[in-house]
Amino acid sequence: MRLIIRDRPEQAAQYIAAYIVERINAFKPSEDRPFVLGLPTGSSPVPVYQELIAAYQRGAISFQHVVTFNMDEYVGLPREHPESYHSFMWKSFFSHVNVPPKNVNILNGNAKRLDEECRAYEARIQALGGIELFLGGVGSDGHIAFNEPGSSLVSRTRVKTLAYETRIANARFFGRNFDAVPRMALTVGVQTIMDAREVVIIATGATKARAIQQAVEGGLSHMCTLSCLQIHPRSMVVVDEDATLDLTVKTVKYFTGVERTLIQQDEMPTTPVEVPSSCWGEPMEGELTPDSMSSRIDSPKSRLTVRSATFPFAHN
Amino acid sequence: MPGKTASSPPRITKFTNCRIVKGPTLIEQDVWIDSFSGKILKDQEAFYGLQLSPDEVIDLGGRILAPGLIDVQLNGAQGFDFSVPQISKDEYDEGLRMVNKGLARTGVTSYLPTVVSSTPEVYWKVLPSLGPSGSSHRAEDGAESLGAHVEGPFISTGRNGVHKTEVLRAAATFDDIVACYGKENMIGFSKSVRMITAAPEVGDMLANISSIASNDIIYSIGHSDATYEQALTATQQGATMITHLFNAMRPFYHRNPGIFGLLGQNECRRPFYGVIADGIHLHPTSIRIAYNAYPDGLILVTDAMKLCGLPDGVYEWTNGERIIKTGARLTLEGSDKIAGSSATLIECINNFRRWSGASTAEALNAATAMPARLLGLQGIKGSLDSGADADLLVLDDTDDPFSGPTLSVRQVWKRGIKIYDTDKNATVAN
Repeated sequence: MRLIIRDRPEQAAQYIAAYIVERINAFKPSEDRPFVLGLPTGSSPVPVYQELIAAYQRGAISFQHVVTFNMDEYVGLPREHPESYHSFMWKSFFSHVNVPPKNVNILNGNAKRLDEECRAYEARIQALGGIELFLGGVGSDGHIAFNEPGSSLVSRTRVKTLAYETRIANARFFGRNFDAVPRMALTVGVQTIMDAREVVIIATGATKARAIQQAVEGGLSHMCTLSCLQIHPRSMVVVDEDATLDLTVKTVKYFTGVERTLIQQDEMPTTPVEVPSSCWGEPMEGELTPDSMSSRIDSPKSRLTVRSATFPFAHN
Repeated sequence: MPGKTASSPPRITKFTNCRIVKGPTLIEQDVWIDSFSGKILKDQEAFYGLQLSPDEVIDLGGRILAPGLIDVQLNGAQGFDFSVPQISKDEYDEGLRMVNKGLARTGVTSYLPTVVSSTPEVYWKVLPSLGPSGSSHRAEDGAESLGAHVEGPFISTGRNGVHKTEVLRAAATFDDIVACYGKENMIGFSKSVRMITAAPEVGDMLANISSIASNDIIYSIGHSDATYEQALTATQQGATMITHLFNAMRPFYHRNPGIFGLLGQNECRRPFYGVIADGIHLHPTSIRIAYNAYPDGLILVTDAMKLCGLPDGVYEWTNGERIIKTGARLTLEGSDKIAGSSATLIECINNFRRWSGASTAEALNAATAMPARLLGLQGIKGSLDSGADADLLVLDDTDDPFSGPTLSVRQVWKRGIKIYDTDKNATVAN
């Protein structure tokens, strides 16, 4: 895991946006070989979207050949409801950039067969060769997507009942009416995120400090699902100063030191694609070894078949 | 057909970096339109549901995107007068087409062609051409009629303005009214009349207002010597509009406030009221007083006549008299009687904004959302909400050193297609 620390939340967002732009451009996506990007909702990612939009507007990036998969969506909330994640994504990102509508994937919380919708979602991800980069946020209890404490760390896309605390927290978006908050959501699983070739997390503000502490310094635990990144071969957590409040000084110094070393080593620290993967951690198994861009070009599908066989489809 | 309209236009256009009217304020919001349906799109549903994305993105650089203007009182333009029949219907219709194209360039995308007091023969001849053009209207035709406004002939002989007194009449029954305008123009699916201006105190008009209203025709109080009580009764009977407030009516008197008094009462629903903000018909303070009394009813109208846009000089008027045009001022030769206006609606909006203290959005609403409400077309015309007709204006807002803040029309879009652009050659043919 890499931990990138910036003074201010907007600097953290700028770092991630620049990183994603670099990654997509280096990938040279095409109609036949799109860049598959996982996307979150929530308040922390908003500045990242704003930076990506700014990059699009100045011509630094095109999303023409980017396919997106969103993490989650409420069950039973109309798609055009202002609090649906469809609406959030439309307002925060899709309406401002050139992602073609056919490339956008968001779970349908109004599907007749919700389990079928989840299965099909996983299948679509696999058909596209897996997710290249999953951008995520984190809840104050350390949850990633709607994988709240206690979620299986090998879970797949599925229906989840929302925790009482989450519904209370989200009531502010539903006119402070607790009963209006949906009770269930569809969400990608922890394993769905783990299968992405790279995971980038943004966490800003003091309310996230406890979650970051658990995920970075604590052990691997379903009580903080973000901690799963400890066994991901290529993950990066980008935080502002406030989100480091519960980390030890030693931890902060260690990670800032690592970054400083990298900057000295490489003129381009924002392109870890060029840097050997061992810098970020040991790969879990040979199949998952992050590699140079060139080796990925050949048949990404076959590699993914092997990966998914490693983690059978699971419900928790 | 010159310019862009010859080739097929892009289907989905997205306007971005623009300010749009939302209630009393301007907000930054993108607008998506569809040239196939001619409507404003619900952008999010178009994207997720119909899998549409914009074929063209137009960066307006912070300019204002407003609904096309609606003029509910307009007597003619381009030298063409709606009240004057031509040798043949074809010739009349040709003149109408010319007006529609010319009007569109001033930002007026829909209007009520207004016919002044005339003989029944004139109504029978001209009204069939003036009905709502409806779905048969093409973008390149320019402005669109929403139905005719017949101003008179059931008006007060003492408040006739420049209407010919010899054609004025009084109606006893609803049949008298129908007979005057022509049955097919008044009743049924193909009716052309949308609004009638009549004096409630003339003949037995008060008893006929409810019949007019129940035929889905707007009854507007105007050219009237009505007292406050008569005006109030007319409103209770179904009058929903006042034609050019203050002009051609009994003036406000403190012991009997007359028609103007309707704006201050709360015994019944206050009617909308037309205001000619051309700087000649009304003193700016009179407009301010009316607006402060009832801001939600003010509708800007031009009452413009055919001389609008023509050079200064002496012109023939319908009744054989002559009209002197000096700038925007039109007077009857040999008197100082005002004979209509030659201001454009956007000029009236500018005047109104400078005089009334209304916000930019409120001033635009007075010529878009308000007339649409009067006509029962809210959400269809005068609106940028999804599902509304994509009749749009791109406006510049500059601070003119001489006349102050000034909105000017840069582009006009009709039913999702650009028909006029000051940056390029006009695509609406002359």
